[in-house]
Amino acid sequence: MIKRIKGFDPEFLDYASKFESEINRGISGLCILSIINRYENEGVHGYQISKDLQDQTKEILIIEEGTLYPILRKLEDDGIIRSEREKTGRKRKFYFITANGIKVYNYLSGFFSKLTEAIAPLFDVNVNLKRERYLYCPNCANKIDLTTLELRYCDVCGHNIENEVKERGFKK
Amino acid sequence: MNEKNLESLVNEYIKEVKKALPDWLKDKKEHKEILAELETHIWEKANELSDSGQANEESIRMAIAHMGTPKSIAREYKRRGTPKVYITKELWPLYLNVLVIVFAIIIILNVIGLILNIVSGTTTDLGELLGGLIGGVQSGLFVAFAIVSIIFVALSMEGYFPEDFKSKKELDKKALRVEMGLPPKPFIKPVGEIIGGGIGLVVGVLFIFQPFPAGLFIAEFLLLLRIFGIFMIIASSFDITRGIIGNRQPLTHQIIHLIKIILKFGVIPFLIILLNRPDIFPWFSTPWIHVGIPPEFHVAYRSGMIVLVVIIALTSIDEIYKIWKLQKYK
Repeated sequence: MIKRIKGFDPEFLDYASKFESEINRGISGLCILSIINRYENEGVHGYQISKDLQDQTKEILIIEEGTLYPILRKLEDDGIIRSEREKTGRKRKFYFITANGIKVYNYLSGFFSKLTEAIAPLFDVNVNLKRERYLYCPNCANKIDLTTLELRYCDVCGHNIENEVKERGFKK
Repeated sequence: MNEKNLESLVNEYIKEVKKALPDWLKDKKEHKEILAELETHIWEKANELSDSGQANEESIRMAIAHMGTPKSIAREYKRRGTPKVYITKELWPLYLNVLVIVFAIIIILNVIGLILNIVSGTTTDLGELLGGLIGGVQSGLFVAFAIVSIIFVALSMEGYFPEDFKSKKELDKKALRVEMGLPPKPFIKPVGEIIGGGIGLVVGVLFIFQPFPAGLFIAEFLLLLRIFGIFMIIASSFDITRGIIGNRQPLTHQIIHLIKIILKFGVIPFLIILLNRPDIFPWFSTPWIHVGIPPEFHVAYRSGMIVLVVIIALTSIDEIYKIWKLQKYK
């Protein structure tokens, strides 16, 4: 965002830009993972990820597009995503989330959601966590999709979630 | 601008990115894939930014601007270690291992220098000899510490990981073993250790009990032989123990290697005694065994013994390497 401003106080711009980059760094990795997670079955190529990132965040979360690839490489090295090259056409690299990646994503997504809810009052904003669809594990904040009702325990910390699910009226 | 010029515009940017990439990445085949992916991205973006849907000079320049500078892309690739002081957490164990090995080599080289000094008789004053040893070790350690630390700080800043120093073949082999659920590559061949130890044990026993005809060797030589026999029996027993333990308990193996280094340095003073007494050493010539090296062969005899002492001291480096290698199996 700050990079759009030109000809302003350079000292302020420099400071604010560094601070903004720090905030963006972790968040962009999580957002990239979220986009790849949405293309769970068909996979998604780098350009589409950067396009979705801009569109979905209404061009607020902007990363230098070239820096997307080192992030993807790191996620791949860590076993969070995997890639496959197109066999025909432009032979683009398509990225898929792995089973371990889904687990990591659900946990981080839950933690980040709870964090934004918790810090919202500091900025005088409201955050709606869609509790009718998701359960945030009371023990570790893992995000659990309530449509998968066979779950009895949190798959991250093993916390028994049956009571929480019953209380919401999802299970009898 | 024609298509060729547009391509060269993109190629120029890709070339700049390639130049900025860290060396560990350039060594890998995948860096070509990375550059190809960036190139595809630029063309797709440029096509989209152009009104006609076909990339033009302006849309390519805009697409490149969106990519970020080659430096910022490279910086992202370099950002992979977890900082631990100035050396990343990932490189820290390798740093400590390299320091230990370099320090050990410096100490051994200084000890060899000391032995050569004693043997050649250039310095006879004990204080001077010890002072030289301590001074040499001290300055050697200081310089080595500074150089190794600077190298590792630079490697950390470049985003190197320990696996970047391994060949692809080595990494593939390791990955295959993990995939097949096999244990890591065995670090010793137990049968070889037991056979080697057994032979050493037999020779050691022979040296101690000396079933030779009476009066064939001088008593002083036989005494030294007995001492060598004791060293051989101890070392061989440890080899056999290692063979019996097999590919387990890496710490025990490390301790045994450490004891063997001490044993190797323990035997050196006795070899020096033998070196200085060519008159007690038996030499072979048909049809009978003569005792005492003739004076005209003294220089050759001493040189041979010095080589033997140096070889024994240098094999300690192999023991240190084994200790370091075993660290990975813990």
